[in-house]
Amino acid sequence: MTARLNVDFVPTEGAMLRILGLIERRGFRVRELNLGERQSSSSLSILIEARDAGRQVEVVARQIAGLSDVSAVEVTPSQTMVPA
Amino acid sequence: MASPAHHSPAPQPEQVSGARLVVEALERQGVDYVFGYPGGAIMPVYDALTGSPLKHILVRHEQAAALAADAYARVTGRPGVCLATSGPGATNLITGIANAFMDSVPMVAITGQVATPLMGTDAFQEIDIFGITLPIVKHSFIVRDAADIPTVFAEAFRIASSGRPGPVLIDLPKNVTNGMAERSEAVEQPADKMPFDAKAIAAADALIASACRPLLYVGGGVAIAKAEASLRRFVERTSIPSVATLKGLGSIPTDDPTFIGMLGMHGTRAANNAVHECDLLICVGARFDDRATGKLDTFAPNAKVIHLDANPAEIGKLRRAEVGFAGDIRAALDAFEARPDVAAWLAHCQGQRRLWAPRYDAPGQGVYAPALLKTLADRAGERAIFTCDVGQHQMWVAQHCRFSRPQAHLTSGGLGTMGYGVPAGMGALLAEPDATVITVSGDGSFMMNVQELATLRRYRLPLKIVLIDNSQLGMVRQWQELFFEENFSEIDLSDNPDFSEVAHAFGIEAFTIDRRSQVAGGIDRLLGTSGPILMHVRIDPRENVWPLVPPNSPNVEMLEKRW
Repeated sequence: MTARLNVDFVPTEGAMLRILGLIERRGFRVRELNLGERQSSSSLSILIEARDAGRQVEVVARQIAGLSDVSAVEVTPSQTMVPA
Repeated sequence: MASPAHHSPAPQPEQVSGARLVVEALERQGVDYVFGYPGGAIMPVYDALTGSPLKHILVRHEQAAALAADAYARVTGRPGVCLATSGPGATNLITGIANAFMDSVPMVAITGQVATPLMGTDAFQEIDIFGITLPIVKHSFIVRDAADIPTVFAEAFRIASSGRPGPVLIDLPKNVTNGMAERSEAVEQPADKMPFDAKAIAAADALIASACRPLLYVGGGVAIAKAEASLRRFVERTSIPSVATLKGLGSIPTDDPTFIGMLGMHGTRAANNAVHECDLLICVGARFDDRATGKLDTFAPNAKVIHLDANPAEIGKLRRAEVGFAGDIRAALDAFEARPDVAAWLAHCQGQRRLWAPRYDAPGQGVYAPALLKTLADRAGERAIFTCDVGQHQMWVAQHCRFSRPQAHLTSGGLGTMGYGVPAGMGALLAEPDATVITVSGDGSFMMNVQELATLRRYRLPLKIVLIDNSQLGMVRQWQELFFEENFSEIDLSDNPDFSEVAHAFGIEAFTIDRRSQVAGGIDRLLGTSGPILMHVRIDPRENVWPLVPPNSPNVEMLEKRW
């Protein structure tokens, strides 16, 4: 199961590490990553893949949304596997 | 023609050191105690501490600073503050920070750091504590400009306390605390407030109204949300029976007629049976932790679930909820109006509680720890606070002591930190000086922070320590006996020191008992002594904690004690 997360965040020190670390620790692999920057905020587009069937994208999205630097998380389901 | 007004030059804003701004920020937050240990990179802050009304508690190991701050926060509901230098001082805080993270305890951990030009150069006592702690903090900051200190500290305290609380780390490079900046007002963000989900409440109310066998599953989130009163009013209105997790104990008084017991691995059979039989599980501030649920797909198999939690990420994380409510638990509980007819169900649960009540008539003349702890809790009264270490004694405290408030039971639930007990006792005593604070420890755990006896002595903290000594790592031994075919591996502690003599060496009163006939007198002496005291209790090394759900088994498949 893969899904794309679009994460808007304030690019404070460590913010991106915090987001990516949380995704890895909660049982997902990062398959693709794009960083966009605006004036005072940044945006990450992340393709993630669950490491096992018990992992729910909606739960990890809510966990990311709980981070202090994150202002919005949007989930787009995707069944397409990205070539490794 | 009027002569031009003479303007005296505007006063220059006062420049103060970053370290002074740190101390003033702590004072502004209403901090009274800071638990810490000085060292090179944090010396400017220690220099600024002199003359401040902040009271600093000098521990003998930084881990104890973090654990004491954790307990202080649990009792007061305000963030605990710990302070350490860079490098090993910072890394020694880590277990305590992780403990606070796992148990959702508000904490602000402050570390010194080498000067910013040296960061990343492997300088003396430089460690990337910001990076190391990323997975175990709610948030963290490296302050790179002294002028940011007021705002960073205000933000740290807000984040630590809001929503689901947790630890926040502030790393302070030495050139920042030595640097000068103008005093400025902190830019404070308003507290987060989640919208009230009235539709979820209505849906939950309808489920409660139609349930035949509803059951409350109460966790540590109730105390964190300060929702005990709302929970108790809800129980009074509905008479719905409840079970509690380790951290939920005391949210409903454990001797309340509607309280059935602790659930889970070392819970009561009555509580686990109630979960198995209920048709509606109302989870309040709990998170379906594996120690509570056992084999998850067999947990509450016949129940619909209502899940109330401050943290949206917990809803549906491990068990799908028919209704999830993320937000203010108090408001949710107060809003429920349903009055289900639960008289027969409650009577059934109460009958189970009586049927499976623990026995205290163990054969023999040796000290039976569950009986000792039950007597101690009964004697210590409502004002007592119990702190625990981790292992068999921790489960015996949860099973056999009575709690009328969650702040009376301080235990390392999530991380399971051996060594929590004594530092937690220190923090609890400073938070509530009039309470009778009792630390129950084991001989393995006690040695992990034994140096804090010196802190007890220094500050004359009247902690009452009950050290239950089976000369083994008892819980590990129990599992090796039951699940590893009695292949006992590295659990022997029979060469322990004489614990009474150890306490005496720190200047603390102590005595040893090893017979049942000595228990009453021992408890009298423990509770009757005004200063710190240690009661060393030798017990049978073969004693196990019962009942027990084997790992990865349904909670209703419990192993029981047989006499």
